[in-house]
Amino acid sequence: MLFAVTYDLGAFVSENWEELLEGLVNTLKVSAIAVAGALVIGVLLGAARAHRLPVVSQVTACYVELARNTPILVQIFLIYFALPQFGVTLNQFTVAWLAVMIWGGAFNSENFRAGFEAVSYRYREAAHALGFGARATFLNVTLPIGGRIALPSSINTYISVVKNTSLMYVIGYTELTTTALNISALSLETLEALTVLGVVYLTLVWSLSAAIRLLESRLALPEER
Amino acid sequence: MLVALQLPEWVEPVARYILEVGLPATLRVSAIAVTGSAVIGILFGTLITIDFRPLQVLLRGYIEVFRGLPILVTVFIVFLGLPELSSALRFTPLTSAALALVLWGSAQVAEATRGAVQSIPREQHEGAAALGFGWFGRHRWVILPQARRRLLPPFVGLLVNIIQNSTLAAAIGGVEILQASKSQYERLSFPPPIGIGEIHAFEIFAGTAILFFLISFPLTRLAAVLEKRLA
Repeated sequence: MLFAVTYDLGAFVSENWEELLEGLVNTLKVSAIAVAGALVIGVLLGAARAHRLPVVSQVTACYVELARNTPILVQIFLIYFALPQFGVTLNQFTVAWLAVMIWGGAFNSENFRAGFEAVSYRYREAAHALGFGARATFLNVTLPIGGRIALPSSINTYISVVKNTSLMYVIGYTELTTTALNISALSLETLEALTVLGVVYLTLVWSLSAAIRLLESRLALPEER
Repeated sequence: MLVALQLPEWVEPVARYILEVGLPATLRVSAIAVTGSAVIGILFGTLITIDFRPLQVLLRGYIEVFRGLPILVTVFIVFLGLPELSSALRFTPLTSAALALVLWGSAQVAEATRGAVQSIPREQHEGAAALGFGWFGRHRWVILPQARRRLLPPFVGLLVNIIQNSTLAAAIGGVEILQASKSQYERLSFPPPIGIGEIHAFEIFAGTAILFFLISFPLTRLAAVLEKRLA
């Protein structure tokens, strides 16, 4: 009975909307920087891996395996607690985007490696025959075709990046999760705070998933249409 | 030639605590989460293939919600939200983390199972039906054993994810490997007699990372081999 009396989502939102909005903006800001960075890392290192560029390729393989086989929370703790030991103290915002960018970049370089490797070598041969150099072949042939093949899996990685920004709760960065839980810790409106978190994250994640499906049909390679 | 590796004095008690208190907790949470995810996920993933709309909508909702939420939010729903509904639903941090991982993991397994079950040709269903199997027997003895081959690689991947995500318990104070490491790093930073007044965050968290790597790496390689064999 107590539940019915005290649960008031409308009041919770109208009293705290400014703070919650600020938290959401921080979540989106961190996500945007991390996604942009992960895209650049993914394309560059994915290309290096696919073309077996010496040294860079091996270093990338180590980076990917390290990032994939250790929990992201441990990576966050290493950046936040261990870097200051070497005189590098980053603020919470920087740690937030840097940690999810490093994580997302590792997964994304695998996405793009697979995409670039899926481009038939006949296309590249054709480009060479037409007089394209290595860079022109990559920019005009491998990237547009392989990039599209990698797109759905890379968007899945970006969705995970957005979800992983919630982990910044452990370093107290005031993105959405930290903001909502901080409010509820004072006001005891726990269920209202959890409702807001659930609704906002599911809206974000579900719209991104819908975008994948839309893009997949829009950017499908001509022969698959 | 004898090479004596001289470790600083603080290392032994820290490593002992992480390995004797943290590691068993991580393994316990992961074992519960994997078992629960497999049982519930295979059940839900099989049930959703039945052509009965209300059940499909319900299961689809379950899958999309728990795959969509950040796992940390699910952890807080279990740890902070459930006790608000009923005091009987109050769980320890480690149990809460395990339950949240079951919700997330079972949604993952259900989606994979649905795909695997639907990939089995309908002749197999018809053949089993012709042999007199009912719905349960058909799935238990004919369909799921064939689907298992396709389910194995994602299942190993899930195991890796669950072991890594069990560190989320640290966010609510559950003492598993990561929380054990963090509390040791904090203890050492105190002046004697509690600590030694030194910061050893890098050594401790790098050690934690290595520990997880040693557990995860063989499993991700296994998943890759299984995947290749299937192709």
